[in-house]
Amino acid sequence: MSVHTRIEGLGARAIAASHAGARLFVIGAKSLRGVFDRDYPKGEVARQMYVVGNKSLLFIAITMGFLGMVMVIQSGHQLNRVTGDLSQLGPQFLKLFIQEFAPTITALMLSTRVGAGIAAEVGSMKVTEQIDALRLSGITPTSYLIAPRLLACLSMGSILTVIAIVIAFTAGGISAWSVFGLNPTAFFDSSMVRTYDIVIGSVKALSYSLAIPIISGFCGLEARGGSEGVGTATTSAVIGSSFAVLLLDFMISGIGLMVFGGGV
Amino acid sequence: MTSSATPSSLIEFRDVHKAFGAKRILQGLTMEVGRQEVFFIIGTSGVGKSVTIKHLIGLLRVDQGEIHFDGERIDNLSEKHFYPVRKRIGMVFQHATLFDSMSLRENVALPLRKHQGLGTKEALAKSDELLERVHMGNFAHSSPATLSDGMKKRAAIARTLAMEPQVVLFDEPTTGLDPVNARRIDRLIRELSDDLGVTSIVVSHDLPSIFGIADRITFIYQGKAYKSGTRQDFEQSGDPIVRQFISGNSHGPMETPGF
Ligand SMILES: Nc1ncnc2c1ncn2[C@@H]1O[C@H](COP(=O)(O)OP(=O)(O)OP(=O)(O)O)[C@@H](O)[C@H]1O
Ligand SMILES: [Mg+2]
Repeated sequence: MSVHTRIEGLGARAIAASHAGARLFVIGAKSLRGVFDRDYPKGEVARQMYVVGNKSLLFIAITMGFLGMVMVIQSGHQLNRVTGDLSQLGPQFLKLFIQEFAPTITALMLSTRVGAGIAAEVGSMKVTEQIDALRLSGITPTSYLIAPRLLACLSMGSILTVIAIVIAFTAGGISAWSVFGLNPTAFFDSSMVRTYDIVIGSVKALSYSLAIPIISGFCGLEARGGSEGVGTATTSAVIGSSFAVLLLDFMISGIGLMVFGGGV
Repeated sequence: MTSSATPSSLIEFRDVHKAFGAKRILQGLTMEVGRQEVFFIIGTSGVGKSVTIKHLIGLLRVDQGEIHFDGERIDNLSEKHFYPVRKRIGMVFQHATLFDSMSLRENVALPLRKHQGLGTKEALAKSDELLERVHMGNFAHSSPATLSDGMKKRAAIARTLAMEPQVVLFDEPTTGLDPVNARRIDRLIRELSDDLGVTSIVVSHDLPSIFGIADRITFIYQGKAYKSGTRQDFEQSGDPIVRQFISGNSHGPMETPGF
């Protein structure tokens, strides 16, 4: 392949990527508008909330429980070696989980479970022309399919993040007490948590919960060519939403630090 | 073929081009469909038959060329202005596209409520009538998931008829059906044209269908209407490529990508 055709290939790919970006933006905007059109079946949001919760609650509980334990034991050992003062273990742990770990890890799990589910469902509707049939019935697919999933992700994303914090903090406190004999009242101390931490954590949780259904829905709507196309859509949805979560994490943390100096 | 100004022609494709990325599908397709005709589009798999008819309802847009419907140019209409066209042109999709979450009568009632603004009760009553017309009255309350493909196809036709369309597009209506069910669908299509004055465009490679009910046929090959004519024209055609398609011979002059 000559350098020339290679550059052409790159150019074509860049153009295709920017077109896809534009379509993603349009679908995002239409889905948000669909939230206000409320043109989806009755009870659909509740049904989708159940799907999101049912798919991820146990998964998130186990992961966050283990993560809480491991982090407390690891950092406890480190602290013991350096200062021997474990009084800040609980408060700092809580701060970190509210700001960073609970929303981000919950969202990464939602990307794999819920994102894949949305892409598979919407994608198979796309390849079997059900999406086309919806459009002909006078229904906008973004309003009908993505908007209720968006609302479900927004509400369940927040609820699951709170649950994640509670589980990780509890598991951490129990480990600190059983491994290091740390007094639970010293661990379960929320005095270090500032409004800033809660705001950053909430902004993250909400942005992730917007990004996951929109990106996954987009991947589903772009699917074509039978069951193979659905598989590709599902994979892209998981990769795309996970990547979006990490990117948003970086951006929101960065903006928080630059604009509010990390809340100090 | 007669000039494009024939008053009887309801739909016209004029030099339509359509590509997906580097894949050029339609490359100057020109064809005309007359009023109340049963018009067949035939051709090998992947040649762009489904793509062609999806242009008529604005699910795809031309890259170049024009499409006219009932004296009006429709290829350049905005999504909003396509709305009235979609009320007049219905489509029965290749894959039976009923929603499994609803019963048959709810499926058929959906466009009635959405497009015609009927109340739920009225819509369901009309839906029952339509299901009766396609001989599916007994299954009005069933879920599509529990039905055979032939039944689903008939219910999908009922849903399309709910809009009282002037034109119905059928994408491979008999593919995957046993011969008895396939001929039933054929008869239904013929009846729509003869009794209700509907114009039907049927995409198919089902030879008994084609030679059983077609008024006219267009054979798409390499992005163009390679040949258009009546059943007799095709039966008597000496063209080697047309003959190869009709006889289903794997050896012949026809170029199929990948072989
Ligand atoms: N939305 C799309 N994006 C990209 N490629 C597409 C799209 N729709 C169709 N194609 C491609 O266009 C070509 C023609 O597709 P089409 O569905 O019209 O074939 P067909 O003639 O109906 O064949 P079949 O008999 O198998 O249904 C195929 O190669 C298909 O992959
Ligand atoms: Mg097709």
